[in-house]
Amino acid sequence: MMKVLRIIFLKDLKVSLRRWSDLLTSFILFVLVCLIFPLTLGNDPSLLLKIIGPVMLVAALLATLLAMQNIFRPDVLNGSLEQLTLNSYPLTLIICTKIFSFWVITSLPLILISGFIASSYYVTGNSILIVILTLLLSTPSLVHISALAAALTVAIRYPGALMALIIIPLSLPIMIFGAKAIEFSISGIDASAPLYFLLGMMFFTCSLGPVVTAAAIKISID
Amino acid sequence: MNLKSIYKLGSPPLFYKLCIVLEPWYLISSILLIAVGMYGGLFVAPPDYQMGDAFRIIYFHVPSAYVSMMAYVFMAVSAIIGLTWRSNVAFSLAKSCAPIGASFTFLALITGMLWGKPMWGTAWVWDARLTSELILLFLYLAYIMLHLSIPDRSKADRATALLAIVGVVNIPIIHYSVVWWNTLHQASTISKFAKPSIATEMLWPLVIMILGYTLLFAAFLSKRTAAELAVREKRTRWLQTLIVGDKNNA
Repeated sequence: MMKVLRIIFLKDLKVSLRRWSDLLTSFILFVLVCLIFPLTLGNDPSLLLKIIGPVMLVAALLATLLAMQNIFRPDVLNGSLEQLTLNSYPLTLIICTKIFSFWVITSLPLILISGFIASSYYVTGNSILIVILTLLLSTPSLVHISALAAALTVAIRYPGALMALIIIPLSLPIMIFGAKAIEFSISGIDASAPLYFLLGMMFFTCSLGPVVTAAAIKISID
Repeated sequence: MNLKSIYKLGSPPLFYKLCIVLEPWYLISSILLIAVGMYGGLFVAPPDYQMGDAFRIIYFHVPSAYVSMMAYVFMAVSAIIGLTWRSNVAFSLAKSCAPIGASFTFLALITGMLWGKPMWGTAWVWDARLTSELILLFLYLAYIMLHLSIPDRSKADRATALLAIVGVVNIPIIHYSVVWWNTLHQASTISKFAKPSIATEMLWPLVIMILGYTLLFAAFLSKRTAAELAVREKRTRWLQTLIVGDKNNA
């Protein structure tokens, strides 16, 4: 069982790395969205410190949305996903593995660079760690919600806008509490309450998300 | 009630006839109730001591907000039934719910904004309830758009059913995170009225309006569901004989 999951994980990593231009596009989107605000608002540290939370999360959401359009579609078109549904291993775990490999390849780079972006927004000290931690806790939820939207829209040719319409209302709690955590830590308040909420949402989406996504895949394929 | 009569409702011909028969009754009773409720709300109920006559929009705002939420739950329940029994009737019900629910949500938003203008000074505040209502509208729109964009009807039915179920699980989470966000944000909001113990002359028209709106929803729903079933079953014999038979009578 573990062996199969490891093979799927490594295969997805490899395939995604082959299509590195897609990954780079979503990564660049993240950086560019973060870049727009200092350039348009002007170089005012107090203003930038106020907006960094929402900006970070919106940028992460957009980057995830762009990257996740392609999580299932190529595999559906070449028939490999259908083969995965036919074998004896539970589809939920397979989907879970696929999502995890996508998280590693699309969200980890964002998390790694978020510290630098935060410091360019004049965030200092512990708050940089909180920014990174917020993204670390919120991106798994965002990836799971996006995976569900991708699975529901897998039969559609250009699912981008529709995926956004599905994802954004469902991911609002994560956006709200993620932005709160960053805002709290910058203004010197204990940020653990929103971070706990994010952690709870992460467990919620990671445990139930793959089940629903697997059901959506089964519907789209048969 | 025994299970057999419930199972019978899953047959499209029976449900179609039921919709056609019930629809005028729902419509007439809802119009009557709304007329009585409007009279009670607009003429009988005394003006509010704080808000004056402006509060009377409550008689349109609260019922539409109530129906908008009830319709989503109804849609999700129909979706669950549809997914479990692969019932065409349940899927038609769920699909017909969405545009009606979206319209009531829109109505609730508009009346809320009309109310907000004299009360808060602006048409829109980021109040928890208004915001959740707006998000509800987007959830409805997502459902409708997803159904429109999947060409295969059976797949569209089941995919949107999943979306409705996910949405109904998420609505409380979204609502409470917006509520907490507001309370975290500012301790006392201007937007929340301290709920006055509502006088009975004010309350009974409201209850009647809610009943009337619910029946209006039922009337729209039976009309739409009948039409949806007719489209889905257009190649079947029962529908053709039903319609041709009607023509012969006329």
